[in-house]
Amino acid sequence: MQGQQLPLGVHLRDDARFDDFQPGANAEVLGHLRKLAAGEPGQLYLYGGLGKSHLLQAACKQSMQEGRSTAYLPLSDLADMDAGLLDGMAGRSLLCVDDVQAVCADERWALNLMRLCDTARAEGHALVFAGDLPPAELPVAVPDLATRLGWGMVYGLKPLSDDDKLAALRLRARTRGLELPLDVGRYLLTRGARDLPALMDTLYRLDTASLAAQRRLTIPFVKDVMNL
Amino acid sequence: MSANLWQQCTQKLSERLSDKEFGTWIMPLQAVETDSGLDLLAPNAMVREQIEQHYLSLINRVVGECGVDPGAQVRLRIGSNSVIPSLPEEEEDTTPAAVTLGTRLDPKYTFESFVQGKSNHIARAAAEQVADNPGGSYNPLLIYGGSGLGKTHLMHGIGHRMVQHNPKARVVYRQAERFVNEMVAAIRHSRMDEFKSFYRSCDALLIDDIQFFAGKKGSQEEFFHTFNALLEGKQQIVLTCDRFPKELDDLEDRLKSRFSWGLSVSVEPPELETRVAILISKAEQAGISLPQEVAFFVAKRVRSNVRDLESALHRLIAGSQFTGIAIDIEFAKQVLQDMLAVHDRLITLENIIKTVAEYYKIRVSDLLSSRRNRSLARPRQIAMALAKDLTNHSLPEIGEAFGGRDHTTVLHACRKVQELRDSDSRINEDYSNLSRILSH
Repeated sequence: MQGQQLPLGVHLRDDARFDDFQPGANAEVLGHLRKLAAGEPGQLYLYGGLGKSHLLQAACKQSMQEGRSTAYLPLSDLADMDAGLLDGMAGRSLLCVDDVQAVCADERWALNLMRLCDTARAEGHALVFAGDLPPAELPVAVPDLATRLGWGMVYGLKPLSDDDKLAALRLRARTRGLELPLDVGRYLLTRGARDLPALMDTLYRLDTASLAAQRRLTIPFVKDVMNL
Repeated sequence: MSANLWQQCTQKLSERLSDKEFGTWIMPLQAVETDSGLDLLAPNAMVREQIEQHYLSLINRVVGECGVDPGAQVRLRIGSNSVIPSLPEEEEDTTPAAVTLGTRLDPKYTFESFVQGKSNHIARAAAEQVADNPGGSYNPLLIYGGSGLGKTHLMHGIGHRMVQHNPKARVVYRQAERFVNEMVAAIRHSRMDEFKSFYRSCDALLIDDIQFFAGKKGSQEEFFHTFNALLEGKQQIVLTCDRFPKELDDLEDRLKSRFSWGLSVSVEPPELETRVAILISKAEQAGISLPQEVAFFVAKRVRSNVRDLESALHRLIAGSQFTGIAIDIEFAKQVLQDMLAVHDRLITLENIIKTVAEYYKIRVSDLLSSRRNRSLARPRQIAMALAKDLTNHSLPEIGEAFGGRDHTTVLHACRKVQELRDSDSRINEDYSNLSRILSH
């Protein structure tokens, strides 16, 4: 499997920056992650909520822009590869390991992840993990891995309130050069799916439609596009 | 210069690759500018191979676009430019000819930073004894116990103390799994002689988590010979294991017997007072004064291991620094609610009953029945005592869960189990094992 190439992403996520993350009740996590990205040593584990990958990628980008070595490892994409992929990675100033749940039941991956924790800690580097469950509830092949993953700080990301979702939508719209008026945002939140990924998809649809029609976002226009 | 050049290159590469590709393969590369071009250091052979196969031509193109002389070369090799004095650079990460990255002693793990309590004082005393008199009568020293209880800490403490006494002492620390990997690599590269002489020439060999030798016959064979050579040379061996080695399946009897030649000591989950002391000591190390009632609150709720205690403390400190609110019990309840909920979810009365029944190979219905013969009453009492120690349920609630018994029955069971643990080592070991299983 070593010669396998990662599939190309559909588009570049130029939006994975800290400033594009709507923290809501997660401001403390964001603050902590910023510190790690700025070169502080430590370990952090994130679970639950939305935006973990965004945060991890944003941390790596900031770290790299500031000239520090880093890496972002989405394990759900790398699970078929040999766990030796982790060798030497702890030597990077900041290592972000996403989707731990994808490999933690495999003994070799589990052992290499444990070694990663030990090495990064001993060498004073930063290590950030994300998974879908808290460490103690992950189906780990080796019990030691659960305690190692929970060694530093463990945060469950809190879901966003409707106001936070609205702010997140407007922020994303602004970064795309689109003005999302408050009343239109509220309309979206009350009439359609309310989870953030679905709301973002709706926003992308509206963005494309507004560009094509050369019209601003208004409630009648949204009704028209969304067939509401 | 190189940082600037490579930063320009990575900027261009990030625009042409997906975030995942960029993050996984390009970000880990470190750049060193040389007279003849640019050296890119990959953390391991897999990254190097991926770059060679899929990205090298793109990198060369981008380097050219950044105005570098077309004759300049981009060379790929394995390594790291993070400066770690006195350690030779790793090539292929397989050579046992030096103390390699990831296998060094952790400077934080000293005897001085180890918080001692009833659960670990014998292990600590033995470890200090070994560090002060290596190669003496406690050879090998085997420290066993559950995850996150301080085995590795004590092992590193021995290493540090030995180097303190004799700065030239060659102390080699390895996780057992690493030992196995190095041996496999040495066989593959026909470097077994080098491997053997490396391990047999050290003053102290510290092997962590020997349970990973189980089922690996070749490694057990080699370790057996290394072990004998070191013992003959009066060199110190320190081992850790997650359980008493005799309980390990797929480990050769001759190794099990060798492991018990010296001294075997266990580390148990810390009791309440030690957990409080650990929290207060770690808070002091972080320059924080942790109120004792908060330390008691956290220690009562987080019982499983030291790493979880540390994690809870980190959360409290970070939360307090972030919000500017002083740490008190209300604050601790709020900040740690997720973590405490996870702990409460993991150790339920149902789970305790089921686990104890499985451990003693009896039926849950028998455990909860009114039958009083000893083969059922003893496990029942142990399960009740565990329920009291590991959960926050009231005694009436525990009694109710055990077939509608009175709370005085629970109280009697807890006292009885404590008495038995003090007088009968088998009961004590059963209790410790169950506590460990449930706390994982």
